Amino acid sequence: MNRDTTPRAIARSLAVLAAGLALATAAHALDVGTAAPELNLPGSAGPVKLADYRGKLVYVDFWASWCKPCLQSFPWMNEMQERYGARGFQIIGVNVDAKADEARRFLSETPAKFVVAFDTKGEAPKSYAIKGMPTSFLVGPDGKLLLEHAGFRDADRAALEAKIRQALGGQ
Amino acid sequence: MRATIVLSLVLATAGCSSIEPVSPWQKGNLARPDMTFEGDGLESRFLEHIYQSKENASGGSGVGGGGCGCN
Amino acid sequence: MTTSPSAGAAVLAAALALPGMVPTVRAESAPESAQIGFKYLSYRDSQPGLKRVSVDAPSVSWLVPVAGSWSLAGSYTLDSVSGASPRWHSSISGASRMSDFRRAADLRVTKYFARSSFGFGTAYSTEHDYRSNSYSLQATFSSEDNNTTWAVGVGRALDRIDPVNAVVVDEHKRTTDFLLGVTQVLTPNDIVQANLTIARGRGYYSDPYKQIDERPRERNQAALMLRWNHHFEDPGASLRTAYRLYGDSFKVDAHTLSAEWVQQLPRGWTIAPSIRYHTQSAAKFYYDPVYDPLLGEPFPPGYLTDPGGYYSADHRLSAFGALTLGIKVTKAITKDLNADFRLDLYQQRAGWRVGGPGSPGLATFRARFVQVGVTHKF
Repeated sequence: MNRDTTPRAIARSLAVLAAGLALATAAHALDVGTAAPELNLPGSAGPVKLADYRGKLVYVDFWASWCKPCLQSFPWMNEMQERYGARGFQIIGVNVDAKADEARRFLSETPAKFVVAFDTKGEAPKSYAIKGMPTSFLVGPDGKLLLEHAGFRDADRAALEAKIRQALGGQ
Repeated sequence: MRATIVLSLVLATAGCSSIEPVSPWQKGNLARPDMTFEGDGLESRFLEHIYQSKENASGGSGVGGGGCGCN
Repeated sequence: MTTSPSAGAAVLAAALALPGMVPTVRAESAPESAQIGFKYLSYRDSQPGLKRVSVDAPSVSWLVPVAGSWSLAGSYTLDSVSGASPRWHSSISGASRMSDFRRAADLRVTKYFARSSFGFGTAYSTEHDYRSNSYSLQATFSSEDNNTTWAVGVGRALDRIDPVNAVVVDEHKRTTDFLLGVTQVLTPNDIVQANLTIARGRGYYSDPYKQIDERPRERNQAALMLRWNHHFEDPGASLRTAYRLYGDSFKVDAHTLSAEWVQQLPRGWTIAPSIRYHTQSAAKFYYDPVYDPLLGEPFPPGYLTDPGGYYSADHRLSAFGALTLGIKVTKAITKDLNADFRLDLYQQRAGWRVGGPGSPGLATFRARFVQVGVTHKF
């Protein structure tokens, strides 16, 4: 291979690569105001069904042991559950680890004070059309979606808590 | 010439659109440090630089490196 | 073996000296926690009959998340380099000796958005006779599903060369480099990356400590790097492979192939053996150890008849194959503290070249490098 063909070969290969790569089609997102998809999953203390929590303000959080922001979100979620649980607020943490063992290891180090469900097949996150990990949803007492939130950063805490209070304040 | 063809084929198959896109909840294994491309920063730097100064090829991993007196 | 004449001052041969700023393509999301790492490198190289360069380099690197969507990262390296280098080919007699300290530091600030990031970096490196300043900009763009990420970057380096032996005075070298890369998630256990880098440099490329060394005043380089990481669920291991194709205007063509098997073991231990093979052609102006019949060693044949010609007897520009065998052991001491140890054994031989004959008449070059480090997350 001599010098003249190498840069051209590289450029040609890259053009093929660019043409070949498919950008993902945007997933069909859920709209606020529509009914939240049903959940029916095994939990740490019996089956967890979203329908059982009709009448409460539900915070559905999709998390995994390998998701670093999830580690940050747990202490906050525990705090929220303690603070607003008596006012009809319930957090359901849906774990999506392919191996439930990994989830249990995470929970033994960082316990959850809220309901935890295990979805090793990934059906629930698919029905909720989540785009990243973690993603959380606020579901009103009527079962309709109020809010979708992607990621978890320090700055999100105050804003999310305000939304919870606002949704509870109406009761 | 043959190398170009082989290279293009490898890259084309890598970008094959018939592969189903991976969903966010399936990325547990990809989150492992050994599955990322960053690696150990100081180690990558040491190694890249050793090879750059004892051989004559460099590049392919980023921009902005400066020079050193090792020609 | 004699010391080169230079009253009172250490003579610097072209030797290994480590900057803190060899670039890597960075992550696309803001770090969750601050991190600090220390690493110590011990490097020794040799050829039969001559212990050559020794480098001891402690370094520190740090990363802090700032204000939720920014990060600040930097590193600092202090090398002590000492030893001898042949002044031409593998010649032991007349090898130049030197001893020097080299300091290098770099800083990078990055802003992260949901599906993109933008970074600015600066680096500085200084030694007795060589100073380098560089700047870079890098951006990444990810698709909606985060499975495809494009990276673009541009960098500029300004070097000042002032060799102690005053063969040249106040020389310069300016380099601009570009990066275009793409990372693609293929399956839950496969991720691939392709990076194209192009560099254009103008200025002083010769080695002032080599007896006969006149290189062109410009160099254009291109490299295409392909990487693939595959995870094996059952043994709990990942296979990391890479191939780099390289060409430049010195007419050096190179192929580099590497593979690393990272195996998880119980109790937080990880072991990772690795292998790397590199083959390159000689630069067009490299000449073999066949000397002019009248002038003798180290002059190339016909040296006097070609006053403006380019010549180098630097074995690093010769045609050879090189093999590295490495092993790295890591231990997670606590959830936040990791310790690592790495050993690499390197050998460079003309006979190991693939795709053409290796350059004759050069001694086998060997090197061993050991790295010991700790990292802590906050």
